[in-house]
Amino acid sequence: MQLFFQDLVNGILAGGILAVVALGFSLVWGIMNIINLAHGAFIMLGAYIAWQLFTSLHVDPFLSVPVAFVIMFGFGYLLQRGLINRVVRAPVLATFLLTFGLSLLIQNLALMVWTSDTRAVTPVYSGANFDIHGVTIPWAKVATLAAALLITLVMYLWLQRSKMGRAIRATAMDVGAAQMVGVRVAHIYGVTFGIGAALAGAAGALLSLSYSLNPSMGEPFLIRGFVVCVLGGLGSVEGALIGGLAYGIVASFASNIDFTLYGQHVSGTGLQDVVALLVLLAVLIVRPTGLAGRATA
Amino acid sequence: MLRTFRLFLIASFVAATFGVPATPAGAAGDTILFGSSVSLTGSLAKEGKLTQEGYDFWKDYINQHGGLKVGGKSYKVDIKYYDDESKPASAQQLAERLIDQDHVNFILGPYGSGTAFTVAQMVERKKMPMVEGNGAAEKIFSQGFRYTFGVLSPAKKYLQGVLDMAAKRKPRPVTVAISAASDAFSLEVQQGVVDYAQTLGFKVVYSNKYPDTTTDVSSVVSAIKATNPDIILNAGHLQDALLIHKGLKEQNVQAKIYAYSVGPDTPDFVNSLGKDANFVYGGAQWSEAVKYQGQAGFYKSAMDYANAFDAVYHHRPDYHNAESTAACLAFQYALQKAGTLDSEKVRDALQSLDIVTFYGIIKFDSRGLNVFKPMVVNQIQHGKLVTVWPEFTANGKPMYPAPPWAQR
Amino acid sequence: MGGITGNRYAIGLVLFAMVALLGVPALHNDYITLTFRNILMFAAMSYGWNMIGGYTGYVSFGNVVFFGMGAYCSAALSGHGIDNLVAAVPLAMLVCASFAVVVGIPVLRLRGHYFGIATLGVSLAVADLVNNLDVLGGSSGLVLKQADQAHFWIYYYAMWLVAIGCILGTYAIARSKLGYAFVAIRENEDAAQVLGISPTRYKVTAWALGAMMAGAAGAVYAPANGFIDPSITFAIDNNVFPIVMAILGGMGTVAGPFIGALLLAGINEFLQQKFLQAHTIFFGATIVLVVVFLPRGLMYLVGLRGGVRRWFADLRVFRV
Repeated sequence: MQLFFQDLVNGILAGGILAVVALGFSLVWGIMNIINLAHGAFIMLGAYIAWQLFTSLHVDPFLSVPVAFVIMFGFGYLLQRGLINRVVRAPVLATFLLTFGLSLLIQNLALMVWTSDTRAVTPVYSGANFDIHGVTIPWAKVATLAAALLITLVMYLWLQRSKMGRAIRATAMDVGAAQMVGVRVAHIYGVTFGIGAALAGAAGALLSLSYSLNPSMGEPFLIRGFVVCVLGGLGSVEGALIGGLAYGIVASFASNIDFTLYGQHVSGTGLQDVVALLVLLAVLIVRPTGLAGRATA
Repeated sequence: MLRTFRLFLIASFVAATFGVPATPAGAAGDTILFGSSVSLTGSLAKEGKLTQEGYDFWKDYINQHGGLKVGGKSYKVDIKYYDDESKPASAQQLAERLIDQDHVNFILGPYGSGTAFTVAQMVERKKMPMVEGNGAAEKIFSQGFRYTFGVLSPAKKYLQGVLDMAAKRKPRPVTVAISAASDAFSLEVQQGVVDYAQTLGFKVVYSNKYPDTTTDVSSVVSAIKATNPDIILNAGHLQDALLIHKGLKEQNVQAKIYAYSVGPDTPDFVNSLGKDANFVYGGAQWSEAVKYQGQAGFYKSAMDYANAFDAVYHHRPDYHNAESTAACLAFQYALQKAGTLDSEKVRDALQSLDIVTFYGIIKFDSRGLNVFKPMVVNQIQHGKLVTVWPEFTANGKPMYPAPPWAQR
Repeated sequence: MGGITGNRYAIGLVLFAMVALLGVPALHNDYITLTFRNILMFAAMSYGWNMIGGYTGYVSFGNVVFFGMGAYCSAALSGHGIDNLVAAVPLAMLVCASFAVVVGIPVLRLRGHYFGIATLGVSLAVADLVNNLDVLGGSSGLVLKQADQAHFWIYYYAMWLVAIGCILGTYAIARSKLGYAFVAIRENEDAAQVLGISPTRYKVTAWALGAMMAGAAGAVYAPANGFIDPSITFAIDNNVFPIVMAILGGMGTVAGPFIGALLLAGINEFLQQKFLQAHTIFFGATIVLVVVFLPRGLMYLVGLRGGVRRWFADLRVFRV
């Protein structure tokens, strides 16, 4: 029973960060129809920003989150206006290919700048924890989850309430109509891509606490982002959160399944991704637009 | 525009299919050319770089000391590298390129068991001798390959030394938990632990594997915690070792011994974890503390090697560096013994090699595996790597048991 | 010109190149032969993807699953002492086609991106499953018996046959009613349905045809490589490169995937030789430049009328 609650807690704590990872990816995909394969590389950049600030200036990684957010926003905005915008209306696969190239480029430039050495951000409170009835909960991960929830909430309110947020949602629904009512689509696209990159950067900075850094660290998160954003529903903020938590919890429970079948030892730890992916497929087949998806996709 | 483009396409097809590629002069005259595909980009870039440093260090030594004497003639040595991007399929193609296109004389192994395996198959077909120092899975050596030699101790031994050491501690630990990444090397390490633990009278209370691309091991850690083991072992790679060790602290899992197959020996481990790295053990192919007296022709002791290496690369060599250099040494002494560059004779010389170097004994069994060299156990003490096992070569005593997390 | 097969000259060029490629093992060393075998293999996988992604417009991110299954079919036969491509390739095609049908019926009901993600999910799940199945070697992989050095050319010609089969198969399908039905679905699925084309049936057919192509390539690859494990067969490259090649050459054309494969592999090979570590940077930069200047793929340039001015004018429409 204790293990049950511990698994649940582990899943929720892991899921929060996956939500932020998926959120930026999901917004860019849902609003601009760009499958951003460089998202993993953006996460890596965010993590290195946090690491650099931590090692050179002793900045706490949580304080680096807004810094990474702002830097990556600028980077994403410029990248969209300067490069991706040139092919943004080409068939979707052109941008797919473009971001694939960008991801290679960024990853390997990072390899030159920061070398292949594995790095980590280890502040003094790293590993500190508290105990509730035998379930151990690390403070840093609770704070990470809180930050993830806060980011998601702010994003949700911003998209729902602000003028810019409404313009973004309008553009997602109908580019032509949005243009007609005076929305500057190029700017909107720049902001959207910038937000996507900023969220990746923030996720990377948060990850720097629990994960170790190297230039190819983003890849496994890219794939999980893919799955989570569809699990929740494309382009939906609350969907990314639900999807992230669902993925985290399912993977966590799956990893402690352990049984023997026809004399073959089946270990859930090896199969945690399989179980999570089967859940994804089941959700897709029952609800083709995701857990929190709207009818329109 | 259109016509030019079509002509260009046709021309490039013709050039591609019939054109004779420019073949660089390979082992011309007085140079022995080695070839190696190493991982310089991708997920194994760090390990690949350590491998390359180990090779280059040997090459520079030989060239600075008048070259390599083979059959009365003095040769310079050179190494041709390609980057396999940490992809096994790519490594095989590049090794083929080294042999056919660059006409290298011999192959030095890539990094990693999977990669070494695919290259081993190819050199076997080409009858091209390869010595590798970075693929410890016994699978490579159980195929009856004649041309592949490994200077390292097999994967199964990686953590057995830790168990040997543990058996001598007071109070004696009883229970063992081991987790493993699901790749060929790590699973062999795990098997080695499970088998050996039973013969030493330990009780294995947890033995499981996790996906090798995992990003979250907290559930593995929780399951380990639930079994309350005295010894916590992990067979995996640097990234997993860091994740698991952080996870153990986060969930406050208290054991007497923590040991990882790969990780603690790279400086990155201490740099990443700070004082939490203290008391952690690691299985290692080699350490600066080993006390072998090597034969003439290269640095004779581990300490001399380490100091000279540090002067060039500005970091202490870890065992990846040393085993890579050792692979070169196997070639060096085999070539001198064979007295010729003929690949068949060099292969035979490698097979019958029996030398002692700064790295230890290099001698291959009939499978081509160096089973004669013991492994060592290192422990991180006050941020420094100290060799604590086997006792005859140790330069420190194990600090046992590990104190509670808050007191490290 | 050429209907939905694409430019006729380009197809002629591809066939000419295929004939020329017959001479490679005789004229060149093993390395060049291996390089071209890999190009043929990626071309076959790219044709497999082109069938569903190019013709019906359903972008699959999981076609590597068929390549992997094909490879494991070969390995399973080899494990039972049957090292014969004549048995392995048809078996792989059969297994892959059946799997495509079984999985395709629910998955192909999904539209657009959701289909793409579902296919990615399927391929990842199968790869992870194989990783955990000890019968299939798990993550340690399986060793296959290879032909000896003197007969190694067998694998090259086997791959050549697979590739030519894909090219001619694509041509025949594109010219048949089937091809027109695929394209009708791509252009407007609802309208196609009104015209009496059952989308699910045709989509599943396209996916199964593509699965057979990738599966055949996998079945030849396994013994040619001599060793397979999930990280080699289900590698991300094997998933992404065929897509990139089809886009580069021209999606939904007969010549596109082959030209894309030749070009991409050529660029990669060249850079890998010239730049020890920086080659991946240049490779990434090359892809970025190609997309920015050739977003419609290379086949667009072949059919271009009106020179450079027209080319740049055409590029401008993609901006907002």
